[in-house]
Amino acid sequence: MNLEDRVQALLTEALGVYRDSPRATAWLRGHLARLAEPVRVAVAGAPLAGKSTVVSALVGEEFAPRAAFTWYRDGPQPRAQAGPHEVPVVRRDGKVFVEAPTADRVVVDWPSRSLRDVVVIDAPSGAPVEQVYGEADAVLYLTRHLHTADLHYLQAAHDHPIARATPVGTVLVLARADEIGGGRIDALSSAKQIARRYRREPRIRPLCQNVVAVAGLLAVAARTLRDDEFAALAALASLPRAELDDHLLSADRFVGEDFPVRLASPVRQRLLDRFGLFGVRLTSTLVRQGFDTQVKLTGQLVQRSGLGELRDSIGQYFTERREVLKARSALLGLDVVLRAEPRPAARALVAAVERVLASAHDFRELRLLAALQGGRTRLPAELDAEAARLVGGLGTSLPARLGMEHEPTPGEARQGVLEALGRWREQAANPALDQAQRRAAEVVVRSCEGMLAALA
Amino acid sequence: MSAPWLDVLDDTIRACAAHNRPDLAARLREKRASQLDPKLRVLVVGEAKQGKSQLVNAMINAPVCAVGDDVTTTVPTFVQHAETPSAALVRGVSIANTPTERIPVPIDQVAQQVSAGRPGELLAAEVGIPRALLTSGLVLVDTPGVGDLRSARTASTFTALLQADAVLMVSDATTELTASELELLKQVMTSCPNVTVVLTKIDIAAQWRRVVERNRAHLARAGVTAKLIPVSSALRLRAAKTGDRELNAESGFPELLACVQQDIVAAADVLARRTVAVAAASAIKQLVAPLREELSSQGSRGTQDTIAALHEAQRRVDELRRRSARWQTVLADEMADLVSDIEYDLRDRTRKILREVDRTFETADPMLGWDRFERWLEDNLTEAATTNFAWLLDRSEWVAEKVARSFPVHREDLLPESVFPDDVLDRVSKMDRPVIEKFSISQKFFTGLRGSYGGLLMFGLVTSLAGMPLINAISLGAGALFGGKSIMDEGDQRLKRRQAAARQAAQRHVDDFFVKFSKDCRDAARHIQRSLRNHFSTLAEEMQETLLESARSARRAVQDDATERERRTREAKRELDALVQLYQRVQALAAAPGQPPLGISA
Repeated sequence: MNLEDRVQALLTEALGVYRDSPRATAWLRGHLARLAEPVRVAVAGAPLAGKSTVVSALVGEEFAPRAAFTWYRDGPQPRAQAGPHEVPVVRRDGKVFVEAPTADRVVVDWPSRSLRDVVVIDAPSGAPVEQVYGEADAVLYLTRHLHTADLHYLQAAHDHPIARATPVGTVLVLARADEIGGGRIDALSSAKQIARRYRREPRIRPLCQNVVAVAGLLAVAARTLRDDEFAALAALASLPRAELDDHLLSADRFVGEDFPVRLASPVRQRLLDRFGLFGVRLTSTLVRQGFDTQVKLTGQLVQRSGLGELRDSIGQYFTERREVLKARSALLGLDVVLRAEPRPAARALVAAVERVLASAHDFRELRLLAALQGGRTRLPAELDAEAARLVGGLGTSLPARLGMEHEPTPGEARQGVLEALGRWREQAANPALDQAQRRAAEVVVRSCEGMLAALA
Repeated sequence: MSAPWLDVLDDTIRACAAHNRPDLAARLREKRASQLDPKLRVLVVGEAKQGKSQLVNAMINAPVCAVGDDVTTTVPTFVQHAETPSAALVRGVSIANTPTERIPVPIDQVAQQVSAGRPGELLAAEVGIPRALLTSGLVLVDTPGVGDLRSARTASTFTALLQADAVLMVSDATTELTASELELLKQVMTSCPNVTVVLTKIDIAAQWRRVVERNRAHLARAGVTAKLIPVSSALRLRAAKTGDRELNAESGFPELLACVQQDIVAAADVLARRTVAVAAASAIKQLVAPLREELSSQGSRGTQDTIAALHEAQRRVDELRRRSARWQTVLADEMADLVSDIEYDLRDRTRKILREVDRTFETADPMLGWDRFERWLEDNLTEAATTNFAWLLDRSEWVAEKVARSFPVHREDLLPESVFPDDVLDRVSKMDRPVIEKFSISQKFFTGLRGSYGGLLMFGLVTSLAGMPLINAISLGAGALFGGKSIMDEGDQRLKRRQAAARQAAQRHVDDFFVKFSKDCRDAARHIQRSLRNHFSTLAEEMQETLLESARSARRAVQDDATERERRTREAKRELDALVQLYQRVQALAAAPGQPPLGISA
């Protein structure tokens, strides 16, 4: 019986116990339905951190920012609902506006391939931590520069017994990476270095699975690059470099009067709004460097903006771990009911929740991973990296766990798993390791056995 | 002539010292020193990654502050005028009172050294550079970003803030002022009121004009009056490189530098006045708070304690009085009970002995075993007396304990050591021997002869009728018979008499014993009662004396307290008045710059 089935059984049992309480029943039914849905990823962060921009980049459509919870999910045609009422969706100046200024919660259906296995939630910056982490299964936390207030937010998110038992579900995003270094052309590589430093920072490591730098504006532009824009950029790139650089010194100069190319000032203003000064600098350079078709440029921009890495992180840490994230959310939801309406018949359920948390191997893997990342459990250097990889620290697919670059043949995979299993069985009985380390090795062994079972 | 603000500041420092706040005094003294210093420290503060170091570099057109994409500035950098360019790093173990060490470094390496330095050892960097801007004594201080994950850096910024004459608060134009930045701004204002907000990076922000508008609104809403100047360090540095005047104008720096000249360098006195006013006002406020507190809480805690002690002492005296009446009653009652019980017990025991004596002399002949009887009686009486007396002792000990229990306090020596007489038992007299009549042979013979005479004569007369002689065998036999009977009757009577006599003797003796012994017992009981009473009343007197003394001292304490408090209140009021006056002078300093404020005489 896998984790999802166990959690589903728990929820069904709880429905039986609480059938006389309409509130609890509605809540539990919601969670039961949620168990089957795609992973919900909330985009949260401080004001003006670029939440709506990142959401737009993920969905692949430029949405106007809204100051309330907005859900984006896959649907056959564009439409938006505020509660039971349908609200109009309007496109103005290339931006999509959801015309519901007062609704505090809007669900937008949007046909997009990116939304196939995630639901993206744009969380307003003032929303409390508990609400964000309650509505979503996983969170992208956006910040421009990590401030102590951000750290407190993330610490609060981990301050729940079930959240502690299942440490998963946060990726820190350094949004607006293009503004780093005053918009220099190599700003993005600097941003990636900063992200790498944060990943190693001992105070940040236990709070998130990964740190990614994203230039939101560029990413949106990449996803929604239009022909006229490309033409304008190509015209810019045709200018001699020195002359163009002079006009790209500042935003004011770029939209100024005496521009050498025949580009109307409003067009330039629009380019600036869409790409930012950094974006214009980078794209014109890229076009000049030979990415001179729209397809080439788009691909290059997606990669450079960090959107690719962000998507990979979402895939690796969120959609691949869908089952665990869903189970976690369901258990958190069940916990709310069990605490709010305690009754004698529910005592068995409380025990069952604890049993699932303690015994489910997926959770144990996550706890080991968190312990390794947070430095609570330390293994000898070479073992540390391998243990993290085998329990799914780099992705839960078989090649990712085995550290193979390509898709292995069944024989290779079997061979690899057996080798790892043998090695870690030894470690589990290694008298030189202390008890916590041996227990960690046992978890790794169990993961290897699971892989072996999946291969058979 | 000293500036008017200096007098006010000195008075405030004196007030701080007088109110036992050496910390405030030290801070103000530091402020005073920095104000008297001809240097004008302009602190560049802001959150991380807003372009503070770049701003300093652009202002003096030299890359002396570390700039980078990640957090780079780890310690404050002081940039001041010097004839020849020079730089030094200041190292030390910690901030407090340890000698620091200045290490000269080449000026083109100072930025790199600062960003690479470990913040634990490096305290600051100092750069000297020949610039017209700095000749007037201006010192630009680049600080680490506030709100950084490493709080030591933030702390060094706030330390530097204490010595600042003016502050340039840096925020970049890509976003509006955030809540935390506004918070920081307010915090800065409490320590140094001369703040100019500089909006950097207007080159990359397309919407910077809108951001300027919004920021002005934010500032107005937060109640902060500060100039807001948009600049672009990147344009300025580039303009300096290419010598492009137009670009320099676009960068916004001419305006910033003019503002620095006009508002900071030229108006140093106003700045000093304002800074001193804020610092002194905050210090005075801190001094006033405890005074207000003291004045408002009339019954301060110490006084409440002494009053409580007085009440307690009085309560205990009353309690002792109430209880001493009680223990006397208890003693009297118990002793009366004891005496009656003891007497009853003694009577009971002697009656039992007497009954036994009666029963014995129903049958026994006192003539035969008098000695043994006497010993028995003596033994029994002794035993009765011992038991009875032992009981008396037990009971009186118990009474002593009971009285002790009803005594108000408990002490080790509450029970008396010994109050019992020990010579009671020796005083019982010997028993008198009863008069015992013996029945001798001659008496028996005489009695028998007297009885036999009647029988001989009676039967002799009867048989003489039958012709026999008067003395014949029959009359002789009858005579013998009658004689024998008379002897026996006489013996019985004598026995009875002897028994009665013995009983009487025994009874008399027992009565004697009872009277004497019960008197002794009663005496003993009275003796015990008297000594217990003496013992306990001595104790009670001692205790009462102690309690009364403590009550008296408590009352004295309360009286002392009241006078002390009155004195203290008067003093606090006077001090408060003095502080309020000083505060008004401080306020006048801030309100009316340029004119000598009212109320300054000395």
